[in-house]
Amino acid sequence: MKILVPCKRVPDADQKIEVHPDGSAIISAHLPFLLNPFDAIAVEEAVRIREQRDGETEILAVTIGEEVCQDELRTALAMGADRALLVVCLQPPDPWNVARILRAVTQREQPDLVLMGKQAVDDDSNQVGQFLAALLDWPQATFASRLNFVDNGLRVARETDAGLETVTVSLPAVVTTDLRLNEPRYASLTSILKARKQSIDQFCLADLAVELEPRLEIRHLETTASARSCQWVTSAAELVDRLRRETH
Amino acid sequence: MNQDSSQTPLTREVFGNINDLSRGVFYLLAVVAALVFCWGVWRRVRLWRRGRKSASAVPWRVMTRRFLTDVLWQPIVRRGRLGAGRAHALLFGGFCALLVGTILIGVEHYGAAAAGRTPGQPLFHSGLYYAVYEFTLDTCGLLMLVGCGWFAWRRWRGHSTIDRHWTDVYVLASLMLLGVTGYLVEGLRIIHEQTRQPGVSYVGLGVARGMQSLGIGVSLARQIHFQLWWLHAVLALGWIAAFPYTRLLHVLVGSFQLVTRDHQPGALTPISLEEVEEHGYVGAGRLSDLTWRQLLELDACIACGRCQDACPAHQAGQPLSPRDVVQSLRDQLNHWQPSAEPPADLRNDDDRTSGAALWSCTTCGACAQVCPLGVDPLGLITPLRRYQVGEGQLRGGPANALQKMQRSGNPWGLPIADRMDWATGLEVPTAAERPDFEVLYWVGCAAAYDRSARNVARAVVQLLTAANVSFAVLGPEERCTGESARRMGEEFLFQELAAQNQAVLQRHGVRKIVTHCPHCLNSLRKDYPQFGPSYEVIHHTQFLLELVDQGKLPNPRGRTGGVTYHDPCYLSRANGISSAPRQLLEGTGQDDPQDRLVELPRHGANTACCGAGGGRMWMDDNPGQRIGSGRIDEIIDSGSQTVAVACPFCRVMVGDGLADRQVGIEVRDVAEILLDSLQTES
Repeated sequence: MKILVPCKRVPDADQKIEVHPDGSAIISAHLPFLLNPFDAIAVEEAVRIREQRDGETEILAVTIGEEVCQDELRTALAMGADRALLVVCLQPPDPWNVARILRAVTQREQPDLVLMGKQAVDDDSNQVGQFLAALLDWPQATFASRLNFVDNGLRVARETDAGLETVTVSLPAVVTTDLRLNEPRYASLTSILKARKQSIDQFCLADLAVELEPRLEIRHLETTASARSCQWVTSAAELVDRLRRETH
Repeated sequence: MNQDSSQTPLTREVFGNINDLSRGVFYLLAVVAALVFCWGVWRRVRLWRRGRKSASAVPWRVMTRRFLTDVLWQPIVRRGRLGAGRAHALLFGGFCALLVGTILIGVEHYGAAAAGRTPGQPLFHSGLYYAVYEFTLDTCGLLMLVGCGWFAWRRWRGHSTIDRHWTDVYVLASLMLLGVTGYLVEGLRIIHEQTRQPGVSYVGLGVARGMQSLGIGVSLARQIHFQLWWLHAVLALGWIAAFPYTRLLHVLVGSFQLVTRDHQPGALTPISLEEVEEHGYVGAGRLSDLTWRQLLELDACIACGRCQDACPAHQAGQPLSPRDVVQSLRDQLNHWQPSAEPPADLRNDDDRTSGAALWSCTTCGACAQVCPLGVDPLGLITPLRRYQVGEGQLRGGPANALQKMQRSGNPWGLPIADRMDWATGLEVPTAAERPDFEVLYWVGCAAAYDRSARNVARAVVQLLTAANVSFAVLGPEERCTGESARRMGEEFLFQELAAQNQAVLQRHGVRKIVTHCPHCLNSLRKDYPQFGPSYEVIHHTQFLLELVDQGKLPNPRGRTGGVTYHDPCYLSRANGISSAPRQLLEGTGQDDPQDRLVELPRHGANTACCGAGGGRMWMDDNPGQRIGSGRIDEIIDSGSQTVAVACPFCRVMVGDGLADRQVGIEVRDVAEILLDSLQTES
């Protein structure tokens, strides 16, 4: 079994994200970046599947972006991915084009399962998994909170607003992961440093015969004012009282 | 006991009543016993030699001192366990005297033979010397028997927490039998040799009188003497042969360990990336990843369980026992094939060294402190943790904290730009703003980001300002020291953070550092010099006391009625700092008993862990299993209104623990209390 896990490099959401004065982009100079937490859940799930199947599973991590995105691939390797692949793309593609690039990678690598985060915590688009399934004409199960292999495919418990919905998809399929699927293991710096030695395959868009077709244009970014304030209360009773009076 | 020179000298014959054949057989058996002994010791040495190198030399002077105190005087054995300690002292003292006595007999016997003396013409074993010798050895034999009996009784009554093994019965029983047969042989000898002045061997004389009353005459005594002498000899030789195969091994290995041990409380051994690349993993995945000294420590352990009793995680019902960690590894050492290549991996199915057990450790160091044989269970836990972390076995809270340290340089993951928010409204110069500062105040992540701990840093800078100290902070240039990362086993994250901090410290020419965080203090003191220059690092309580002594801060009036003080492990146990905070709290040079601190039952170097060390700060526990809840009981029982702390992590843990019990005891740092008392005065 072969599992493809698309991984995205995203800024650390704990940090104060500031927008460049001209509104063109966020200021990323001193910003720490990390592997999108939902993608980390996908990598963890792939590693668990391999552990359950006594190692008869290959996990391929892929990312799209500049050379620096190798850092996040190393995290995936440190967590247990077998191989990593970087599609070099200097302009950040929009979700539609990400899905098109991933289609090309999928056709080249022929995985049985594409396991990916339901969304990335930078733009929270939540589109690529769905686009990719449509482009490949594969079944899809989004927002997975539990995965089980069954005879004819994969049974997935999906998190919906109404509760858990269980669907069964045949393989190959695209599954996107939700927060409660698992608790990812810690990729120690030691294992990341060890993963330095593993080589990362690189492709350019031409290698995959993909030409970008941008559908989305970012015109301007700005920070919305967040008028949150913090106040101390002295007792639970006071908190309840103030919530009653002040939240209406 | 005056000697009449006309009489034959007061003495007894060595090997009396033992014919030449028996003597020959005895020497043959002695050689066999010695060979079995040597083979047993060599077998262990061969196992230890498979460990990694451990280069450290302890000066002779220190080794001699340790031999005299730790090995012979044994203060740690008696500390804490009165019964077992006294029984051990009796057994050990009695045995040593008997051993010395036997050696003296040997010297006499071979010396006399070399000098061509006939039996009855001893070199020195006669007269007053003989009388004192006999009296002393008879007494010491009794002491040993009482010690053995005491130990047997403790075991039988279940008073002892020591691990049980059938060989222990053999060891104790054969020692007791040795003593008993020794007295019997002596008594019989007194009868058949009609030894002069038998009263000096008073126990033997008692035995002789008893036997005589049973009608045992000279010739029968001679017969039984011969037979019992053989029993005594076989017991003694068997005991020597069994030495390296039973708990007795601790006498040799433990003494060696006590004399040559080199671990420092609070210090860890660094590892290099080259080592990891060579092994393919980090930490201890196999016994051969431990140092030879650590393998030897496994053999020194007699599983007495003192470390387990002292372990705050064990007290709280967590699945950790330092003794079991050591014993699990020792069991594996016993089954280790030294010739197997590659060496077998450590078992991962042993609960005693499971992840749950290892992650319960707060690295407080109490286990190593109480070990009478100088074993350091904490030193074994760290490499095991390193292996777990390297193999991706860490998840949840601690994993998040490490990731946040990696990204943002603090375990809360909060923005680097917010590192000076704690100082809002105060004038706090950074090293960049005041390059000629004399003292660097190391703020640490807790005070920089934790809303409650900020008050500690604010109190410290107000005191430093009041005393006109030329100080600066690093501000946004400061990163987490990496202390908890290192204790959790994430060595390379620690090394990366240490390299960043070292570069900043050197750029600003820092020489003296003051910090209110014992974890930062320990790391800057003991971890950082392994990767760069060392600094003079002192705790804020020490520095504030200096300022008081120099008159730069007013002498705090002792307002300590109803105040107790909780010693942080990394301050008192690992760095021996416990008097400065007390002097600050009590006020110097005042003797009003009203101002005395209320001391908790466990204080100073024997403090009780709050539960936050070793990365435990980032782990969640069941309310019933919170490490440090026993400490909260002690604080409540002390009847104090305020508990003074000197560590931001203790502050959080003690505060949460008291809030949990809904007790209104105030938790304040020493600096906060000091600032209050100064403000009240002015």
